[in-house]
Amino acid sequence: MDGTLIGIVAFLAVIGLLAIRVPIAFALAGVAAVGAFCIFAFRTGDFMPDRAIRPTSSLVFSNFFDLIHSYDLSMIPLFVALGHIAYRAEITTAIYHAARVWLAKIPGGVAMASVVGCGGFSAISGSSIACASTMGRICAPEMLSMGYDKRLATASVAAGGTLGSLIPPSVLFIIYGIFTETSISSLFLAGVLPGLLSLAGFLLVIWIWVRQKPGDAPAFTGEITAAERRQAAFAAWPAAALFIVIVGGIYGGFFTATEAAAISVALVTLTGFLQRKLTLAGFWAALRETGIQTTSIFLIAAAAKIFVAFIALTGVAPAIVGAVTGAEPNVIVLMGAIALIYLALGMFLDPIGIMVLTLPLMVPLVESYGLDLIWFGVVVIKLLEIGLITPPVGLNVFVISSVVGKSVPIDRIFSGLLRFLSIDILVLIIIMAVPALSLLIPYSV
Amino acid sequence: MLRWVERFLLDLAAAAIVALGLLITASVLLRITLNSGIPDTVVMVAELMVAAIILPLAATIAARANIVVEVLSQHFPGRVQDCLVILGGVIGLLALLPLLWAGYREAASAIESGGFFFGQLNLPKWPGRVLFLFGLIVCWVRLLVQVVADMRTFARGERIDTETGTNYMQEEA
Amino acid sequence: QTTLFFGEAGPNRGSRADAINYFADQVEEISEGDLSFDIQWGGALFKAGAARQGIADGVADAGTIIAVYFPQEMAAYGIADLPIQNPDPWVGMKATDELMRSSDQIQQNLADQNLVYIGTFTTSAVHIGCKGATINSVDDIEGLKVRGVGAYGNAFADQGANLVSMSIYDAYQGLDSGLIDCSQGYSYVVPALQWQEVIDSYTLLNWGQVGALGVFMNKDMFDSLSADQQDALMEAGRRIPDELGRILSTDNDAAVQMMRDQGIEVIELPEEERQKLVEAGSTYVDSWKETVGGMGMDGDAMLTEYRSLIDKYTEERDAQGYPWER
Ligand code: NA
Ligand code: NA
Repeated sequence: MDGTLIGIVAFLAVIGLLAIRVPIAFALAGVAAVGAFCIFAFRTGDFMPDRAIRPTSSLVFSNFFDLIHSYDLSMIPLFVALGHIAYRAEITTAIYHAARVWLAKIPGGVAMASVVGCGGFSAISGSSIACASTMGRICAPEMLSMGYDKRLATASVAAGGTLGSLIPPSVLFIIYGIFTETSISSLFLAGVLPGLLSLAGFLLVIWIWVRQKPGDAPAFTGEITAAERRQAAFAAWPAAALFIVIVGGIYGGFFTATEAAAISVALVTLTGFLQRKLTLAGFWAALRETGIQTTSIFLIAAAAKIFVAFIALTGVAPAIVGAVTGAEPNVIVLMGAIALIYLALGMFLDPIGIMVLTLPLMVPLVESYGLDLIWFGVVVIKLLEIGLITPPVGLNVFVISSVVGKSVPIDRIFSGLLRFLSIDILVLIIIMAVPALSLLIPYSV
Repeated sequence: MLRWVERFLLDLAAAAIVALGLLITASVLLRITLNSGIPDTVVMVAELMVAAIILPLAATIAARANIVVEVLSQHFPGRVQDCLVILGGVIGLLALLPLLWAGYREAASAIESGGFFFGQLNLPKWPGRVLFLFGLIVCWVRLLVQVVADMRTFARGERIDTETGTNYMQEEA
Repeated sequence: QTTLFFGEAGPNRGSRADAINYFADQVEEISEGDLSFDIQWGGALFKAGAARQGIADGVADAGTIIAVYFPQEMAAYGIADLPIQNPDPWVGMKATDELMRSSDQIQQNLADQNLVYIGTFTTSAVHIGCKGATINSVDDIEGLKVRGVGAYGNAFADQGANLVSMSIYDAYQGLDSGLIDCSQGYSYVVPALQWQEVIDSYTLLNWGQVGALGVFMNKDMFDSLSADQQDALMEAGRRIPDELGRILSTDNDAAVQMMRDQGIEVIELPEEERQKLVEAGSTYVDSWKETVGGMGMDGDAMLTEYRSLIDKYTEERDAQGYPWER
């Protein structure tokens, strides 16, 4: 049986299972296991199922276990815990009160503040998932309680979370740098302007959204005195202090971006207890929430990792790239085709998995056209980030969903993301058409 | 009983998150203040990660916190939706089987071979693998109980409640 | 015509990737197209920590195993990682390769794990780059914050260094921000990771290498191949040291020259200082002997043989030069 065929059938099977409400993790892992089993069983040409049991179970186990057995990914439960503890220590409420008071006159101001907050958080976190889960925990419930439209409240943080990998530090840029032997520090610098452009794009979306539907972002009514503003800003000091300590700590050489997660949690917990706003029971409840939320995120991420390993066996990726190369397209068609490939893979697979599967094939192709690899890196990361918010498998969307629970169904979040996706496509085209946007900073430093 | 086990494992996972946070914080503080550190932090944190992620699996199942897409299925008749809930559970039970089998082999071989992580302390490999297997077994049993209960509800002609899973957060807090 | 899956945890660029591609090409050439590899890079099939089981279980038919992830199961192979005096990549690889091929005991141990040894790589000699610090002697190591790995990292810690855990890819930022003073590494890694931008001194330790990483195959699959196919794999594996040795030697020399050109202070650790390091490493040699001893192998005998092989290939190199220079 042909591997490519098995691969295509598998993609369709995932869509089919998701459509009939099979939990995402089970659909991905189940299809991957069956598909890998078929490939191993047909290895010799004849169907030999007994030879497929051991490799299939080994592939499923090792990809699951190795994903969670990770020092670097400890950043995710810690940042999730940060969101929950900060909420219970009333630190997030203070930020929100300040945002509400200061941004009262701006329609959709709090959604905009959330997106800007995501941009700020991106500077201390290398992972989009960590970004979405922390900011999602802090912002989404507050916006919902303020009467924001459910789609706006959830989609803005799901989209804002994708800034995490464009703005340095960034795990995705590190992996890209390893695969292409390009300078990781140049890649980091190259991501800054496109990251800020994406941020501006998201703000524009919110601005237009709220202008068209003012009811989706209820404005704060009533008078606010200057004293109230000062008071609100002052009450938010723990958050501001935390941010300064963390950014200063990372860039001042006191701790790594991974360690920053633990330091943040320690500081927030300490502040909460000292201010007598965090109780032991609240602290423990926050940790239980963290446990459940982290597990449901990791279950999907692990299943996606297993699916990537199965797709590697099928040879689908080289088949697609081979088809593109065979057509000998001009540069514009090539880049268009590459964008479509990444968007298509991004519907199902996780960013790291896509890079591992495609970069060994893409990079020589891109180089043969004489294109700049730093710029191409920014294009790829932007494409992968878009994949985090596209259906059916959008990790950032699932992260936000695990925060807001059943109050906002997944499809509502996806439908809210449509506007953000359209601006993302526009930003992507600008990044692709204007390499200087990416290369200005790295090549002038 | 099952409920007690789930909550106990969830609490253990919470403790693991506290432990790995403290471990990293302590190693940073020791480095900044005394220019010293804790050996093999990386290995210990990775092992604690297994506890933090795997032990709440059963509670996640009980809380019905598995993320599903309901775009299409929400338009189906109630009985069909309930069939799909059961089907999803059955697929989960099957999807976890290769993990259980390989998890058992891994745990057994880690104990048997005496495998360890290279480092300053040469910590053994078996604890994380045994925890993984243990968390997975409890999760599988929990899912089986849920699927059987759902089937019974379905057979009685009642609707399956997928909205209100066990809530572990609001119990005591 | 058979296509085998090859699992590699690293990227498809760099010296190890070149060596893997070379190996795959050689297999194809020697077998006259009868055998070829479908290489999966970047841990697409399994990460380094799962490579041993992945290959033994047949997830991939062949792949790279890095012994430091399996200090127990791959203990015998781990001899090539020991901090003994063994700084030359080519010499180290030739000695390791011959030891692995000639020892029935090692092959039996691998067979029990459903593995077959095919060929060996190396990361080349361990050196250290520093910012705001200079290592001229072993005493200079004390109190430095060092990113170190494996037995070499432990040996730095024994000299009073404060070991900081971070990946080699995070070392650039670590050095830049002052989080670490020094990072253990290999010369060819410096330009690849742009360390020349952040370090101001580079000390050539000429001590040992991390050499216990190489190509292994699933034994069931290997046994099912024809004798000709098996020979092609073995012969291709045997050719790796000459090619990787050439690549590393060129890249390492160029990297050191580049550092000198950039005004980075390049220090050669004096002989007596290096001897101190070799002695300091003996703790880890002893604990290795204990591990292999527990598996019924004679660590002392293996070490004696390994040292004599290192001497043998050192002499060959001194007498005839490297193969690519002959
Ligand atoms: Na970031
Ligand atoms: Na997607």
